[in-house]
Amino acid sequence: MRADVVVVGAGPAGLAAAVALAEAGRQVRIIARGNGFTHWGPGAVDVLARVGGKEVGRPLDGVPELPARHPYRLLEDEVLRRAIDRFQRLAAAAGLAHEGSLDQNRRQVTALGTLRPTCLVPAPAARPLAGRVAVVGFAGFRDFAAGLCARGLRDAGYQASVQAVELPSWSHERHFTAVDLARAIDDAGFRSRLADRLAGATRDADVAVVPAVLGLAAGHEAWADLERRTGIALVEAALAPPSVPGLRLYAAWLARLRELGVRLQLGFPVTGLEVGDGRVTAVVTEGASRPIVTRCNEVVLATGGVAGRGIQAQRDGSLVEVVAGLPVQGFADRMHYLADRFLDDHPLGAAGVVVDAELRPLDTTGKPALDGLRCVGSLLADHDPTAEGSREGIALVTATRVAELLAAAPV
Amino acid sequence: MADLETQVVVVGGGATGTAVLRDLALRGIDAVLVERADLGTGTSGRWHGLLHSGGRYVVKDPVSATECIEENMTLRRIAPHCVEDTGGLFVLLPENEQSYGDAFVEACEKTGVPCEELSLDQARKREPLLTPNLSRVFAVPDGTLDGWKLMGGFVADATSRGARVLLRHPVVGFERDGDQIRAVRVRDTAAGEDRLIGCQWVLNAAGAWAGQVATLAGGRLRMAPGKGAMVVMVSRYVRGVVNDCRMPGDGDIIVPVHEVAILGTTDVETNDPDDISVDPREVDFMIDACAQMVPAIANGRVLRAFSGSRPLYKAEDAAGDSRDITRAFFVLDHSERDGPGNLLSIVGGKLTTCRQMAERTVDVLAAKMGVDADCATAEVPLPGAEHGFHRLADPLATVEKKVEYGELVCECELVTRARIEAAVDQGTTELDDLRRQLRLGFGPCQGAFCGWRAAAIVDDRRPGENEPLANLERFLEERWRGQRMAVWGDGAVQALLNHAIYRGTFDLRPQQEPAETEREA
Repeated sequence: MRADVVVVGAGPAGLAAAVALAEAGRQVRIIARGNGFTHWGPGAVDVLARVGGKEVGRPLDGVPELPARHPYRLLEDEVLRRAIDRFQRLAAAAGLAHEGSLDQNRRQVTALGTLRPTCLVPAPAARPLAGRVAVVGFAGFRDFAAGLCARGLRDAGYQASVQAVELPSWSHERHFTAVDLARAIDDAGFRSRLADRLAGATRDADVAVVPAVLGLAAGHEAWADLERRTGIALVEAALAPPSVPGLRLYAAWLARLRELGVRLQLGFPVTGLEVGDGRVTAVVTEGASRPIVTRCNEVVLATGGVAGRGIQAQRDGSLVEVVAGLPVQGFADRMHYLADRFLDDHPLGAAGVVVDAELRPLDTTGKPALDGLRCVGSLLADHDPTAEGSREGIALVTATRVAELLAAAPV
Repeated sequence: MADLETQVVVVGGGATGTAVLRDLALRGIDAVLVERADLGTGTSGRWHGLLHSGGRYVVKDPVSATECIEENMTLRRIAPHCVEDTGGLFVLLPENEQSYGDAFVEACEKTGVPCEELSLDQARKREPLLTPNLSRVFAVPDGTLDGWKLMGGFVADATSRGARVLLRHPVVGFERDGDQIRAVRVRDTAAGEDRLIGCQWVLNAAGAWAGQVATLAGGRLRMAPGKGAMVVMVSRYVRGVVNDCRMPGDGDIIVPVHEVAILGTTDVETNDPDDISVDPREVDFMIDACAQMVPAIANGRVLRAFSGSRPLYKAEDAAGDSRDITRAFFVLDHSERDGPGNLLSIVGGKLTTCRQMAERTVDVLAAKMGVDADCATAEVPLPGAEHGFHRLADPLATVEKKVEYGELVCECELVTRARIEAAVDQGTTELDDLRRQLRLGFGPCQGAFCGWRAAAIVDDRRPGENEPLANLERFLEERWRGQRMAVWGDGAVQALLNHAIYRGTFDLRPQQEPAETEREA
């Protein structure tokens, strides 16, 4: 098999990079072991929420305080602006408008009633919580507890009350997920019956907080339709995985890739690279009976950090980059890469591959390890996407940068 | 004036204390059990879950071996619902002392532990993941025992006969009148005040903490707690218990308990029974040692590691390694030793023999009290015994068949909303206590998905009683303490995903100082 550029990984960084590269005229193929963080995250775009544990009001204000080799320090602020613009355009074109800008972080309501700092939030999570807030739980849906959410909002100073809504009858397994419920809400008949109940339950409220399950197939249309029918502002609260807002975004990226003719091979872990004259010539994928070799001119690694399985943490404490065996900036032994408290920051979350300003991975002497190879997203060293609240921002800015660098290169 | 009067105060809510309470209740002796935390939060909640056949002790400690097989049979009769009848194997590896095989068979015969030699083919059929490198294999009636269920059963039976149980009531002092204890002073930790329990006798069943309790009462008792570390694997690997056929040592047993396998154990002498730290080297050692018997364990996923303090009693002049101290038990009458005339301490032993320990202790006590009722605990079945042996697939079958069970809150351990609500309605609000009662959060995700759901249910049923996010934080931190020693491979992926959910999506920030002691299973 042949491709011009192979992107390894289908999380936010890999998807965004593939779209940007294809738009820049490169012929792209994505090969990935499975889905990435779209399915796990809260469905917002975190750019930079905290530095050294302290919140930053405006993401770019925090950048100078980051370590010198942090991806945001390696890249110009302008690249981040272009990356965010590019994302906003793609999302809006797919019917997934996101509110917010790099000028100011904002807050996203969660199922626990906390207000997480982030940069861009999808429109269904963006209505202000002004006046009387009704927090609405759906009976039998275990991943949202209205009482818990309302309690958190009250603690934060909001006027929040609890409402319970019985779901209209629908055909489902006994234990259904957010995705099952979102698909049910895609059905116009179900949605209309739900709207009547929602309207009844929120009669005395100015805004209603609901779990992030308001439709999956048609972007934000089901949410907008429910707002029209109920006459009340609806705010989707972020849930534990699976993430319906993340799945909507995944679908939007997938649709754009299809338009651009990019092939996506999911379920194929890349196990190695072939190299000739110091340059990558192919990626090797685990096939059913034998390795599959895909020849290519460039490879973009978007395999993620330890959480994304781009890096494997071993029992002896060593950290192994799984595709190319790149050196990983890590720690002496396994007891040192974890904190004593679960909720503290874990150094393991920041383990990664050191790159230069052109996103080329460096070998132990500080020189580019291999021509034709670039790294993007959470695989990069010197940042902790969870602790900083920077995951999607890093994914988008490195994806944009790699596309800009490779756009100029010969096909 | 005492706040409460009883004949006997039992100190300690572990396997021994609860078994003693039931024995007293069946003989018509009024008793109050006091426990510093929850049932089974000491050693009885921190062990590997093996219902001993006695095979482990036949060569080294034949008295213990005979006690084990007797009690194994008794528990199968009175509490089959707490037992999974897995059977067990002793595997003689080529590098072991080969003569131990014959010695083992002979000792089994002498001690009354049923033992049958299997052909290597039979053994591999029974345990497909066993190493092909085997010299000999022996089958024994090992099983696994759900200690919490057993303790819960003892308490339910005892309280239905009038016994009383005070949880979260640590003993803070004894009121003496000459050489007699007149009352036990306990701290009601919920109310923040002391209470006095007037009594005629005190039975010290505090296990590894018995020395501390005896000292508080003015007696003298030296325990030699042996700290044993265990490793929890994410799945069972084996159908039945697998033991290394050699003198008992470190890393020589694999116990399939519920959905996981527990690898045991190490033995380190310690002065502090509350020291339950695990050295990561112990984790590595046990994985490598147990992989000699079941090679797949070498690259398997580890869930967590924990340790417990064996309640070993060391007579003042004995010396040597703590594994050489007998696993048998002793009833110590302090009037003959050092102190209060109405204090008995019960020390040593194993969870398997808790009922027998209780019987011998209460025999001694009853004679002193002039009560001539015989022990009935080996005959009267526990409530729930009619269910028969526990089978691995039982919880799934129940959830699938009974629609009224409703939502699954903990998917790993099949814990339903209805069961959590019932436990909360009975007064349990701490997630960590729900964990021990229901196995909430024991599985591969270690509470990531069920933790916050359960916190919400508690707050919904009993608003304001237990602040949900603080409750959740304590639960997550408790789970983390056990995982932290063993995070690599898939476990590292899980840990960082869990972190991304709670810190990332939910923006939960640490609020509380780390707890001083840790509890486990």
